[in-house]
Amino acid sequence: MKAKLRRLLSWEGLLLAILVLVAAVNANLAPAYVSLNNQINLFQLSIEKIIVALVMTFIIINGEIDLSVASVMGLAACIVAVLFDRGVPMEWAIVVALLAGVLCGAFNGFWVAYVGLPSLAVTLAGMIGFRGVARILIEDRSIGGFPAWFTALGQQPLIGPFPFSLILFALLFTLALIVLQYSGVGRLVYVIGHNAAVARYSGIDVPRLKLGLFIASGLVAALAGVLLAARLGAVRGNTADGFELDIITMVLLGGVSIFGGTGNLAGVGLSILVILNLRNGMSLLNVTGNVQTGVVGMLLILSVLLPNLAQMARERWQRRAVQRKEVQTGVETSVSS
Amino acid sequence: MHTWRQRMRPEQIRELSLVGLIVIALLIFGWQIENFLSARTFNRITSSVAIVGMVAIGQTLVVLTRNIDLSVGSIVGFTAYFVGSQLAANPGLPPVMAVVLAVLTGGALGLVNGLIVAYGRVPAIITTLGTLAIYRMLLINYANARTITVDSLPSWVVELSRQTIFTIGDFAVRPLFAITIAAVVVFQFVLAYTVFGRRLYAIGSNPEAARFAGLPAQRTVLAAFVLCGMLAGMAGFLFLARFGNITAVAGQGIELESVAAVVVGGVNTFGGSGTVLGALLGAFLIDLLGQGLLRWLGISEFWRDALLGLLILLAVASDSVILGWLRRIWAAPALRAEVSNEG
Amino acid sequence: MQATKRHLFFAVTLIIALLLAACTPQSQTPAPTSAPAPTSAPAPTSAPAPTTAPTGGVVSATPGLDINMILLPKFLGIAVFDQAYEGAKEAHAELGNKGNLIFTGPTAENSVAGQIETLTNAATQGVKAVMLSNNAGDQIAAAAQAAQAAGVKVVTWDSPIPSAQGESVFVAQVDFNETGRVMADMALSILGPQGGEFAILSASPDAANQNAWIASMKQVLAEPKYANLKLVDTVYGNDQSEESYNQALALVDKYPNLKLIMAPTTVGIAAAAKAMTDEGLCDKVKVSGLGLPSEMASYTLSGCAPQFALWSFKDLGYLTYYLAYGLATGQLQGVEGERFNAGRMGSYTIEKDPTRPNGLRVLMGPFTVYTAENVNK
Repeated sequence: MKAKLRRLLSWEGLLLAILVLVAAVNANLAPAYVSLNNQINLFQLSIEKIIVALVMTFIIINGEIDLSVASVMGLAACIVAVLFDRGVPMEWAIVVALLAGVLCGAFNGFWVAYVGLPSLAVTLAGMIGFRGVARILIEDRSIGGFPAWFTALGQQPLIGPFPFSLILFALLFTLALIVLQYSGVGRLVYVIGHNAAVARYSGIDVPRLKLGLFIASGLVAALAGVLLAARLGAVRGNTADGFELDIITMVLLGGVSIFGGTGNLAGVGLSILVILNLRNGMSLLNVTGNVQTGVVGMLLILSVLLPNLAQMARERWQRRAVQRKEVQTGVETSVSS
Repeated sequence: MHTWRQRMRPEQIRELSLVGLIVIALLIFGWQIENFLSARTFNRITSSVAIVGMVAIGQTLVVLTRNIDLSVGSIVGFTAYFVGSQLAANPGLPPVMAVVLAVLTGGALGLVNGLIVAYGRVPAIITTLGTLAIYRMLLINYANARTITVDSLPSWVVELSRQTIFTIGDFAVRPLFAITIAAVVVFQFVLAYTVFGRRLYAIGSNPEAARFAGLPAQRTVLAAFVLCGMLAGMAGFLFLARFGNITAVAGQGIELESVAAVVVGGVNTFGGSGTVLGALLGAFLIDLLGQGLLRWLGISEFWRDALLGLLILLAVASDSVILGWLRRIWAAPALRAEVSNEG
Repeated sequence: MQATKRHLFFAVTLIIALLLAACTPQSQTPAPTSAPAPTSAPAPTSAPAPTTAPTGGVVSATPGLDINMILLPKFLGIAVFDQAYEGAKEAHAELGNKGNLIFTGPTAENSVAGQIETLTNAATQGVKAVMLSNNAGDQIAAAAQAAQAAGVKVVTWDSPIPSAQGESVFVAQVDFNETGRVMADMALSILGPQGGEFAILSASPDAANQNAWIASMKQVLAEPKYANLKLVDTVYGNDQSEESYNQALALVDKYPNLKLIMAPTTVGIAAAAKAMTDEGLCDKVKVSGLGLPSEMASYTLSGCAPQFALWSFKDLGYLTYYLAYGLATGQLQGVEGERFNAGRMGSYTIEKDPTRPNGLRVLMGPFTVYTAENVNK
């Protein structure tokens, strides 16, 4: 309990402090920032990335990585578009796209979990290959003109001012939080990420869980791809290109260790808020995209570097204090003797 | 009788299996594509692989220590642009100075990475994901949308990529490829025979143990990043010589290409095993697959990436299968000896 | 206690970081910069005559109003977009706009999402006009429609929104059908009447303007005059030097009789010319397309790329600004047949875009075809 509290004071506390500060600076410099409309826009503009970041958290805590998510998003979007273009009802097109996501995830998971290849290599191949399948399907076309209900799903508010994807994100976040932090499966994710060998020796079916995680990753990425198609209203071969690094950045800033085993969803949730608000504020102040990315990069490094430096300084200070005390007690003893 | 088996080490077996895959790919492409097995293809691939190969050497050093450097693409771009603009401003700059400038620029950027990782204890992926964006931001602000053009560079730079050092038949060895091969030879030697090389392996295979054994882990990791930066800087110079026109987006994506080369080349991403020769072979194999698919008449432009992804996966998978098979052959005599001793 | 102190420390450093971010160049005018871009293309000497009969008076916008406008290129760091910014700055100063002209753009890797974000936030910021070189195809249409609904005029230049949804008017650098003809004519003039095989090296398969130009070129090629020109392949270098260079060499290997590579992209044409020069193939395979004189001069003089074409991006930025200012201040309605004055470039007419069913355009033109005679001027 106490350890948990201390953890809250360190990483999540830090992110929270940054978030408050970012919000305060934004509100001061860009008055439009505080409007409800802008607050919803801020989520809406990156909603697909943050949905995938949730499942990426599981994968990285499990000690793996999935570089193919953006390509799966693009593939799912292309499948929806191409099937719709050929006259398949939209509902079925979505189902097929989601199944394709499951297949991609199972493909990655099979090679990682059952053949034992490194996930970095497998999903790097997936990143190139799944994008390639999307290209075969859509070639150089741009497909749009989707049914109104479908685009409304991505663009119009559903309940009150909130669009469907935002509500879905809230639901998925809650679900992920329960599974990861409060269920047996979640505990297994941590145990395997911490030490896969120990997990195997204690009788855990490691491959099955890893396969399951990759399938979940594929499914959620495909869902996000379909949502992206709905929001943009048109699909091209490069849809969602390059999203993987942004998604991984969100998870890592959330305090999840790239070596697996540590981190939690509260941190990732806060890190998502920090990045979205920071980018939105800079965008409202007309800071160019390159500087925005650079500032997020700097934040990523500083958020780990500064606490480390502070701790090192404190350790050194404490050591010196102990030494001083030793010297003093030494003096005292010599005096008393 | 089994002397070759006793002399081989697992890493050499791995390189052998990569050579086997390259031969298989060459045979298939040669069978399907007219004129593929020619000196021309060799020349194309060697000049194309020079830049990624150079970066892959540095990436290997870093990955061996159980780290990764995702900022190499930005370092290549920054150095290419920076050295290009210096050469445009001072055309009289001697070639040696230009190369030194490139290596030092890359080294300085690598030093920043290394200090943050080794002494700031920030995981490498976080550090270099950050500097990937930061170095690119610096480049775009420094370049201010000006392009380095072929005309503004001294002629020796742009002509470097057309010259040949020597030819065997029609097989030409170009300066860019020769420089990369020289770097591979040097670092293959460094890794195999120097204390520094051994330390890279030791730290990567077990960082805790290495620290307990009193190895200077921080200094070694720092050195790996600085060398990686220097090699990326050198690659930036090669990039400048090869393409001549340099914009602010130069070198984008090289980080993933170099990681792919290292991974296919059999360098363990968890550190501790792999060689620069393997990484070069990995870069070679990927480039061969790409170039072959580009020239295959029956294959549409849109099928290329899907096949490339599949082939990379097959290469990694079959490499692991072939490796296991070769290892068993390699271990068999020893096992038999052990069994017969016990019997 | 310890924790609070630590957080204070973070807070301070973060403030510094944020201040740094806020201070980084936001590229805002009106800081009159003296030196023009070193690589600016020569401006065409004569303004083109209006193509349709005037239906009313020519609108000359009232200068000195106060509106904020954004010039949004595909991404930053590319010379031609900065040349357009130079032109827009010139018009901004001439019109004495008291508001800001903001030049901002996404990173190359994040171009689509970044453009949509800027457009969405423009409405929030109270910007009155966004001048967009669209890199997102129809994917930006929803965001553009939302911006229009919030009172932001969206004027496209260089690359339009294909469906024209959410777009007020497109400022076409040249007639898109004309582009196909100019490319076909250059090919014919390089290859001669006996013709031969040629291939196209384009940007990415998703580049809307390149795709439109290639489509128009294919149409033109059907005419008997071009019967001997044989288009064998279209490949994509994704506007990356490395990929374009490799693709150019692969084309040469794949088609032994190839005589010409046509690259309708400035990155592609320069990379292809360098590749042919490096491999000593210039006598056999020529390079042509759309290129920047500053990047192509040496290849044109060496005979490797005897002809290529481009328009003035500076003029394009200038004209776009005049149109966007007129629309955003309500002095222009953005309807067919409307005429307006664009400063030093003369008067222009808003007309139906023949290449897009629902689109309106203003046609700038003309092409400048560069040869050894005029490339260094």
